[in-house]
Amino acid sequence: MTIFSRRRLAVAVAASTALLAASACSGGDDSKGQAASDELTVMAPLFGTAPDPGGELQQAVEKQIGKKLKITWVPNAEYGDKSNVTFASDKIPDVMVVNEKGPSFLKAAEAGAFWDLTGKLDKYPNLKPDNEQRAKNSQTNGKTYGIYRDRPLLRSGIVIRKDWLAKLGLKEPQSVDDLYAIAKAFTERDPDGNGKKDTYGLIIPKWPGNYASASPYDVVETWFGAPNGWGERDGKLVPGFDTPEFLAANEWLRRWVKEGLVNPDFATLDSANWNDPFVQGKGGMIIDVNVRATQLLDLFKEKNPKDFDKVTLVGNLKGPDGEKHSYPFTGYNMVIAISKQHVRTDEQLDQVLQTLDKLESKEGSVLLANGIEGRNFKADGQYAVPINETDPKVKAIQNDVDKAFIQLGTRAGVGIGAYQPRPNDATSRAMRESFDVLMNEDLKTAVFNPALSIVAPTAVSKGQTLDTIIPDARIKYLSGAITEDQLKAQIKRWYDSGGTQIATEVNDLAAKAGG
Amino acid sequence: MATDLVPSQVVPPSAEATPEAPRRKRRPRPVPLWRDLLRYRWLYLLLLPGLVYFVVFKYLPMYGLTIAFKDYVPFLGYSGSEWVGLKHFQELFTGPDFGRLMFNTLLLALLTIVFVFPAPIVVALMLNELRLRVLKRSVQSLIYIPHFLSWTIVASLTYLLFSVDFGVIANWIHGLVGGQKTDYVAQADWFRPLIVLQLLWKQTGWGTIIYLAALAGVDSQLYEAARVDGAGRWRQFWHITLPAIRPTIVVMAILTSGHLMDSGFEQIWLMTTSLNRDVADVFDTFVYYIGITQGSFSYATAVGLFKGVVGVVLIFGSNLLAKRLGQRGLF
Repeated sequence: MTIFSRRRLAVAVAASTALLAASACSGGDDSKGQAASDELTVMAPLFGTAPDPGGELQQAVEKQIGKKLKITWVPNAEYGDKSNVTFASDKIPDVMVVNEKGPSFLKAAEAGAFWDLTGKLDKYPNLKPDNEQRAKNSQTNGKTYGIYRDRPLLRSGIVIRKDWLAKLGLKEPQSVDDLYAIAKAFTERDPDGNGKKDTYGLIIPKWPGNYASASPYDVVETWFGAPNGWGERDGKLVPGFDTPEFLAANEWLRRWVKEGLVNPDFATLDSANWNDPFVQGKGGMIIDVNVRATQLLDLFKEKNPKDFDKVTLVGNLKGPDGEKHSYPFTGYNMVIAISKQHVRTDEQLDQVLQTLDKLESKEGSVLLANGIEGRNFKADGQYAVPINETDPKVKAIQNDVDKAFIQLGTRAGVGIGAYQPRPNDATSRAMRESFDVLMNEDLKTAVFNPALSIVAPTAVSKGQTLDTIIPDARIKYLSGAITEDQLKAQIKRWYDSGGTQIATEVNDLAAKAGG
Repeated sequence: MATDLVPSQVVPPSAEATPEAPRRKRRPRPVPLWRDLLRYRWLYLLLLPGLVYFVVFKYLPMYGLTIAFKDYVPFLGYSGSEWVGLKHFQELFTGPDFGRLMFNTLLLALLTIVFVFPAPIVVALMLNELRLRVLKRSVQSLIYIPHFLSWTIVASLTYLLFSVDFGVIANWIHGLVGGQKTDYVAQADWFRPLIVLQLLWKQTGWGTIIYLAALAGVDSQLYEAARVDGAGRWRQFWHITLPAIRPTIVVMAILTSGHLMDSGFEQIWLMTTSLNRDVADVFDTFVYYIGITQGSFSYATAVGLFKGVVGVVLIFGSNLLAKRLGQRGLF
């Protein structure tokens, strides 16, 4: 005890102990204060770098709504996980973009963590539903838990290598038989002209979603006449995979896999790399959303700015019986819900809704989806034309719009509302203009999911066992790992593991919602 | 242990003996705890930060385990949620997934023990026999590298090398064997071999460190004496090297047994596809799926708790086994 006096040692020990205790307790300190009424906390998905909270755009938005914003931007890839963890915390933001049918959101909402907004939105002109189909789709068992974020009602399509079609003298497909013929030609007739048989027709990635999640398989099944998700058969709602059309579609696709018309790694190809085989000239077709076409055009343009007109977009196809069935989308993508953690009374709710109403007004929508007029764009008819593109500050505004703030729009959003961004070459412009033409044509034959707004309680409680049965069995069947009988056995397993109960519940809830 | 270091004991009684010294001699019975605490208060004070750390960060959070016996709804909080007893455990043990999860988890654990556990021992022994120091050092450094790569990178590398479309190794094997192309990364049959291969590649080098340290501690006089007695390389290895690292092997084995139910979430998750899910699902991925994705926090906690209990039982069991076999256990 010469170098360290006892007292000094005691002080050091006490200090380090206090530090430990303090760091352990600092977790839940600021949760007790109510949200200041001039501040709104928000959580939303992010598709790039997070905006600067003091940035020009955020300031403009705050001026528009008359409140300070405290936004937690969460990268889109982990948004689902992060929201589930947030529901379990004591720091739920006031306003949150949520998947209103996710099991953990429903559990939180049913316990009273979020406001039930059914019938409460009508007094706010910019928040009340402007489309019946969307309003219905975004409900959950008859309840409105949030304000839906508009998206085009139909985005499905086939992207095809235009130059390959021309080289082989083929026409754009009208029916599934045409599509098969094209895939066959793309695989066997050397469309890239290198003398080797090194191409395939269709590119499919490892699909991250489950059954009825707009995968290429779901789209093809709809073409064959299978229901989209759920459909009526003999007066009862049945899951789409329990129909002969489902089996027929997959038997057809299985032939594609067997004949090598699909990329051999379709069960494992990372969906982030979906474009690569297309741009590299390995595969000639992608069945996905229409914006995939402009993405691919941009990639070809990057490669060769002089010769990039290599992509064509085709709408939904006629099935084997000659009837056309189109795969629609839900018309919205997640909703904006309001948590009860700080917004406790009806007056407080009214305040928040008024603020949101200002955010989603015409002026607010332009800010969210296009930016600041005169700074980063000028309006030209229905188009927004970018200006001052080289100014780094303006670049920051454009980034904040495209990667972040557009996610807060309900009336204006990706591919809809306010001003359309104007592509600066004629080919991309023509492609973008074709979106609406194809959509309106295909909407006439769209097969809507009558049970979209229904969430069966058993599906929530037994999801972990049931969700993967069908998509896994489908991939196994397509790859040749199991036979059709085994596929049917898996469908039966779905029913036996709780599916029977789900079917009953869906039918009951649908009858209630309909009647 | 700590008392050995106390200065008052170390200092030999001088001519002017302290007043305590004779008193201690007169009293043979053990010192009461509070007196011990008081006397060595400065040393015990040093222990305090460590204790606080364990209590605050390891023991207090265990309070959260109570939700395994409740229907936990975050909005209602820990205390507000309803008690449901063993409902979640019942659901787990009688549910359709339990058998498959148990089988997959245990089989992976078995493969790990058989193939991955001995690998660093073998490599360390082989390195130990190397004469050329430069070679030994550089090999040692090179085989550490994979340990520092994340599982994400290891999984990406595996896909790149074994993909049925463009995988270098897959194409090479196909060129040698011919026949139909095998989809190593997707097929269920190849899932476990790939997992073991990844573990071997990533962890073997790093695992050698502890064995090499043990080997470095062997007295070189033993070898010299053995050589004088005419023992060859093999004899020296069998009678000196191996017994020298046996305690290390036993300790590592006991520690490993506690992790038998941990299959390494990241690795499994990244390698799971629709085609191999039946063999890939283990408790770790199941907990993630039901807890984070589905939001069934109580059920996920129950599964995690079950896993933890099995781990504790295995640690105590293997420790006991080691003692029975005449080895020094861990505790």
